[in-house]
Amino acid sequence: MLLALAWKNIWRNKKRSLIILTAIALGLWAGLFSVSISIGVWEATINSTIDRNLSHIQIHKKEFKEEKLISNYIPNGNTIADEIRKDKRVKEVSGRVLIEGMASSPTSSSGVNIIGINPENEKEVTSISSYIQEGKFFETKKRNPVLIGKKLADKLGLKMGSKIVLTFQNIDTTLTFAAFRIAGIFKTESTNFDQSHLFVKKSDLYKTMESEPIISEIAIRLNSSDDLDSVYSKLKLDYSSLAVETWKQLAPELEFTYEMLILELEIFLGIILAALLFGITNTMLMSVMDRIREFGVLMAVGMKRVRVFFLILIETFVLSIFGGIIGMLLGGITVWYLSDKGIDLSIFAEGLNAYGMPTQMYPVLPLYFYFVLIVMIIITAIIAAIYPSIKTIKLMPAKAIRTY
Amino acid sequence: MNKIIFLITGSIIFISSLLAQDAKEIIAKSDELIKSKSSYAEFSMEIIKTDWTRSFGMKSWSLEPDYAIIYVTEPARDKGTVTLKRKKEVWNWIPAAQKVIKIPPSMMLQSWMGSDFTNDDLVKESSVVNDYTHTVVNEETFNGYKCYVIESIPKEEAGVVWGKLLTWISKDYYFQMKVEFYDEDEFLIKTYVGTDIKEMDGRTFPAHWEMLPEDRPGEKTTFTYLKIQFNYPVNESFFSEQNMKRIR
Amino acid sequence: MKTYLLLAWRNLWRNKRRTLIAAASVFFAVLLALVMRSMQEGSYDYMIEASVSMYTGYIQIHRDEYWEKRSIDKSMEVSDKIVKEIEGIENVTLVTPRLESFSLISYGNTTKVASIIGIEPEQENRMTKLKNKLIKGKYLTPDSKGTILSEGLARLLKVDIGDSVVLYGQGYHGVTAADRIPIEGIVKFTLPELNKSMVYLSMNYAQWLYSAPERITTLSVMINHIDNLLEVYKNINGLFDDKYEVMTWSELMPELVQGIEIDNAGGIIMLGILYIIIGFGIFGTVMMMTAERTKEFGILISIGLKKGKLAFISFLESIFLTFIGVAAGVIVSIPLLYYFHRNPIELTGQMADMALSYGLDPILPFRFAPNIFVDQFLTVFVIALVSVSYPLFFIRKLKPVEAMRK
Repeated sequence: MLLALAWKNIWRNKKRSLIILTAIALGLWAGLFSVSISIGVWEATINSTIDRNLSHIQIHKKEFKEEKLISNYIPNGNTIADEIRKDKRVKEVSGRVLIEGMASSPTSSSGVNIIGINPENEKEVTSISSYIQEGKFFETKKRNPVLIGKKLADKLGLKMGSKIVLTFQNIDTTLTFAAFRIAGIFKTESTNFDQSHLFVKKSDLYKTMESEPIISEIAIRLNSSDDLDSVYSKLKLDYSSLAVETWKQLAPELEFTYEMLILELEIFLGIILAALLFGITNTMLMSVMDRIREFGVLMAVGMKRVRVFFLILIETFVLSIFGGIIGMLLGGITVWYLSDKGIDLSIFAEGLNAYGMPTQMYPVLPLYFYFVLIVMIIITAIIAAIYPSIKTIKLMPAKAIRTY
Repeated sequence: MNKIIFLITGSIIFISSLLAQDAKEIIAKSDELIKSKSSYAEFSMEIIKTDWTRSFGMKSWSLEPDYAIIYVTEPARDKGTVTLKRKKEVWNWIPAAQKVIKIPPSMMLQSWMGSDFTNDDLVKESSVVNDYTHTVVNEETFNGYKCYVIESIPKEEAGVVWGKLLTWISKDYYFQMKVEFYDEDEFLIKTYVGTDIKEMDGRTFPAHWEMLPEDRPGEKTTFTYLKIQFNYPVNESFFSEQNMKRIR
Repeated sequence: MKTYLLLAWRNLWRNKRRTLIAAASVFFAVLLALVMRSMQEGSYDYMIEASVSMYTGYIQIHRDEYWEKRSIDKSMEVSDKIVKEIEGIENVTLVTPRLESFSLISYGNTTKVASIIGIEPEQENRMTKLKNKLIKGKYLTPDSKGTILSEGLARLLKVDIGDSVVLYGQGYHGVTAADRIPIEGIVKFTLPELNKSMVYLSMNYAQWLYSAPERITTLSVMINHIDNLLEVYKNINGLFDDKYEVMTWSELMPELVQGIEIDNAGGIIMLGILYIIIGFGIFGTVMMMTAERTKEFGILISIGLKKGKLAFISFLESIFLTFIGVAAGVIVSIPLLYYFHRNPIELTGQMADMALSYGLDPILPFRFAPNIFVDQFLTVFVIALVSVSYPLFFIRKLKPVEAMRK
């Protein structure tokens, strides 16, 4: 019965109820939207880092983590890579040679990380081929092709087709010099990466070093990131003498920024709900004060105060929940729609690129937030209703009836 | 450094052989004759920068094309510093710290002793003959001497940054008078010039050399030969880390 | 005019409850906006403070072109007099000199390239808390002829306290710098790049080693608060001619600037959303209040009060209302924000650990500065004013006879 009364009350003053509903709905929608954007940008950054060169899991010789020398290559690396490739959850495995050396031109030189790859495998594991601006991804017949970043090319004063000399220590620590030709220039979202990494064919490196086909790093891309933990555990067990790591361990600062981001967003939502809370309380208060006479009458003809209390509580509650649901629906639909189309942030391109963040992002809203919000709305609604309800039941019926 | 030695000894060869006019032959012949040629020299090096100037007195022993030891005799503060080159690697002996330090790859492109030469330059020159294809492109008079101008283009696999070298070789005595270093876009990056033609230990060649970087006018590094002995008796084992410490 | 003001004011207080409720919505709006903005700006100040105290300081003075060329040949001589003058500038808290260079560091068969930094030990510690990072051995004294290595570098060279390393490089004007130096201490940095490359020497010793007597490459300046940066910068700049360069942290660490800008952009968007919600709340409240007074307005108009005048009075009421709400909000926020500014909320658990590992205090910072109050005061005032213009609109459309029947 109370419910029916509450319901009728709500619709008696359409304008007011609508205002509250809209306020809540909009507030929530806006809140959800901004949360989804923030998380979307972050996810895009993570994914681009994983795609670009981290991949899901990496394996190295334990000593390699200390000192990145070519002599710290993975024993039987290629065999291990082939074994891992057989796992159905693994999309592809790339065995890489990693050497720290110098790249020089007639005018300048710069420290670089030389990455020797097998282009076919690498394409399936990381997305570096999609960042190529000039030239191709190792489709040339040229001798010793190299793929370098735009920032590095500019620093050394080189362009497509230019000669670049790489200097590095061989396995036996002798110094090796080799000339490569720029066959492609890439540009990723991270200018830092562009300046310090270049790619060559493993086979060319082996020829230059006159060495066996050794690899320093095994990079694994899974078919689905859901398998991350299970594959990780298995590999850790199978290759306990080696250092097996997920991208989270390889880049812990990413996890840190995620935690901070979530905290910020939760605070933000809290503030929004606080704003809504005051709004609702305010409005309900006025609505209640409007109807003092009514309530006076109700209490005079025998309705228990407790029931009046609950009446108001339910009114507030229903309005808030409705508004909340609409807000969440709106939010959900917007996110769903945009997660397909994406949002273009290219006006911020320069700043974003320095941080390795992409300019095209898709809003993401983890289910977790929906749950959190439902709970928060309910709590907010209840708290909002308390003050007006208390005020009402404190009325003296006789006085109330006489109020205008 | 070794380029000087190579060039000097190369020029000596041609005093006797007069008929090799083809660039490749010229260089090929000098190459044949340069292998296992050893020498001892005393010289001074001057580094001239916009703010300061430094002079060194040095002695060197070399076994072309792969080995050399350079010993600093002056000034007092640097006396006893030794640079050892074996094939493509460089070590320094530092008397103040009583230690031998091998130059890591990242320092190979840094300057040697503060000069306009890098550690890399010390090791690179021995490969000039093999790493390039040579052609005579012109004949000019330079510094009063009639010269062949030889253009040298590095081969594909050569690990050298240059796009091309132009070398002026005197027609009479076959010593190198000037070398110009270009990048692949034909921009001149640095020039190496020899002057003060003298006779030493029976041979005639430029005793004074200057390395002039194009992008820093007014700065240069110069070498002046005070004494030189050709066919100095020395073999591979001389060029060792232990010997770095013993040399005087 | 006075009559109108009086009328408007009295109208407000005739229905205390209603007025207070409306003012309250503005009050809370201001409060929330201030809290949010204070936290956002607090975090930027925090990030900057943490970054500059790691190494660079807020302002650095070098010889002209040093930053670009980073050569010890571009070092400078700085008199005590000038240093005292800089220290005397208002808001400057610390000035510390450094002699920086790159050299080879070698032990046994291992040779690495390292950043060699000559410091005045006590001053350096006051600025970067270097002593706190000491994990082994002792800190440097001004007369030390030994060195403090970063932990990662010590590990790569496989050295410990008491071992002697060889430093080899180029000093001032091309003079060779070489010596064998005992390790007196080991420090640990959380940033791996720093941890693998820093070598500290006492200033006296470094100047001797690099043949650079009385010379330094950098003067680093710390100030008490980032708000005073521009002022201090101007003052310092005035002390040096164009043979020198004076740079601020934003020029020294441009990536940090970009990071903050991106964050700030996001923060402003969020603030904008908050304003929308607030605006809506205020608007709704006012709308209801106006509706309540329908009868009142109807009567007034029918007894002869011109609509325009009624609207004007209503407008004045709105201004007073908004002002009361905003003022109250600001007044309450001042002690609140000040309290949190002085006693920040502590982070706990995993968040705290991560912050510490980056050398940051695990707190949620609040910024307490006039600009925050002024900005939010004005913004919310404008928003509130826009919202309360509804009554004017309402009054225009009012049909008195109908209104009286409500």
